[in-house]
Amino acid sequence: MTSGAKDFLNEFHWLMDVLHNIDVGLVVLDLEMRVKLWNGFMQNHSARPSADALEHSIFDLFPELPEAWFRRKLQSVTVLHNAAFTTWEQRPYLFRFKNYRVVTGNAEYMYQNCTILPLSDANGEVNHICLIVYDVTEVATNRLQLQKANAQLHHISRTDGLTSLLNRKTWEQSLRHEFKRFQRYHHACSLILFDIDHFKLINDNYGHTAGDEVIRHTARILLDGLRDSDVAGRYGGEEFAVILVDTDAAGAKVVAERLRTNIEASSVLFERHLINYTISLGIAELSPRITDPTMWIDTADRGLYNAKRAGRNQVVVYHT
Amino acid sequence: MSATVYLSEDYRDCLQEVTNIAMGQAADRLARLLDTFVVLSIPHIEILSPADIAMALHSIDNSASVSGVCQGFIGGGIAGEAIILFNDTSFADLARLLNYEGELDRQAERELLMDTTNVLFGACLRGIAEQIDITFSFGPPMVLGQHQRLDELFNPRSATWQQALVTEINYKLEGYNVNCDLLLILSEDSIDRLCKKLDYLLA
Repeated sequence: MTSGAKDFLNEFHWLMDVLHNIDVGLVVLDLEMRVKLWNGFMQNHSARPSADALEHSIFDLFPELPEAWFRRKLQSVTVLHNAAFTTWEQRPYLFRFKNYRVVTGNAEYMYQNCTILPLSDANGEVNHICLIVYDVTEVATNRLQLQKANAQLHHISRTDGLTSLLNRKTWEQSLRHEFKRFQRYHHACSLILFDIDHFKLINDNYGHTAGDEVIRHTARILLDGLRDSDVAGRYGGEEFAVILVDTDAAGAKVVAERLRTNIEASSVLFERHLINYTISLGIAELSPRITDPTMWIDTADRGLYNAKRAGRNQVVVYHT
Repeated sequence: MSATVYLSEDYRDCLQEVTNIAMGQAADRLARLLDTFVVLSIPHIEILSPADIAMALHSIDNSASVSGVCQGFIGGGIAGEAIILFNDTSFADLARLLNYEGELDRQAERELLMDTTNVLFGACLRGIAEQIDITFSFGPPMVLGQHQRLDELFNPRSATWQQALVTEINYKLEGYNVNCDLLLILSEDSIDRLCKKLDYLLA
């Protein structure tokens, strides 16, 4: 053997070593989609040795690979002689491999970015395709966790911790929104403002934990009786507020009356005490005489005040 | 680095010619791939500041009907980024164009944007690269403004460069409601190297 040929063989050897040991998936396909190169990464992650993969159609080896989609991608590679890309955000993976870290990794499978390259022969004709598979599980799980954390923060910033109803700030945003909608479309819209009668007595007699339980119980009964479009919030300590979309005062009174009787009929069991309590409610239907959201609340508050003054445990509609 | 980048008339003409030829080739390749006639504008070449580019990007944030995708490339000391702005482009038409079968959810829309970018941009840059005898490496395309607001993504005031060479090309596809602008942005420090490459063509 000439020294030139020896050098070439040597070089070829270590080049192949690099291809096989690099921690990136390398696959070469011919235009009939038969596997021509299957490096160590692909062998280890797929549990298919070269002998099982070589000369087989990639679609026979991996039935989960969406064939129509993949062929469409390849078309731009062969016609334009242009690399094509897939990222984990479009498609979590091309090949369903296990996560590298089977114990501490918190993803079930390997997220992959892939690059698809045209390989041309000595005449410049593209007759092979190279697939490079990158493991991006770490990046993907970090980003997904960040998204989840942001969604949680978003939820926490909008809701009240004790009842999971909307907090006052968020609820007031909805109130302003509905007020604006009314100004534009004049759909009927009503507001119920209510609070727990003699709440201070509950706290004094049974303790604040009991008070909290009563507030939670009220929120549950409130939510059970509402439609999806109604917007319920915790307005203050023992004060609650509900926006009833597309509902006039008479309709709101039906809802309020049902809520009042449900609360009156139920009781809260707290440390072997059965606590019975009632609520008073004020209602204000939006009308052109109400000129801003604060005035809308004030109007409902007057109804609530009148309900209290008339002896509590009742509903009063206040007309402007 | 000089405060202002100057591109002589000769270089500008030469680059214009290189881009014209590349676009002609790109149109031909695209027509074969997409099976439709591609109408390309004459490339418009100018030197822009970060603020100019920020303004172009701003349209993505401000309009629900504009989407943008960017893709980076580098090779032979020339680096840059391509940004494609899709104006009022119909996703249904993009899907028809790329023979995409399946439901058009947001993920599919993103994929269509990325694939279209890759195809349009790849076709155009390949022609330029061949003429100036460079092979570029490409990063994967990224949909702009998906994870971050654009003003956070690119703040012209904190940019470390003053000027960039921008080639603007408008694409329209016959029979499809697809209209987009490709901005091919070369970094400041690439312009010198590009001019050296153009010297071979001018000689």
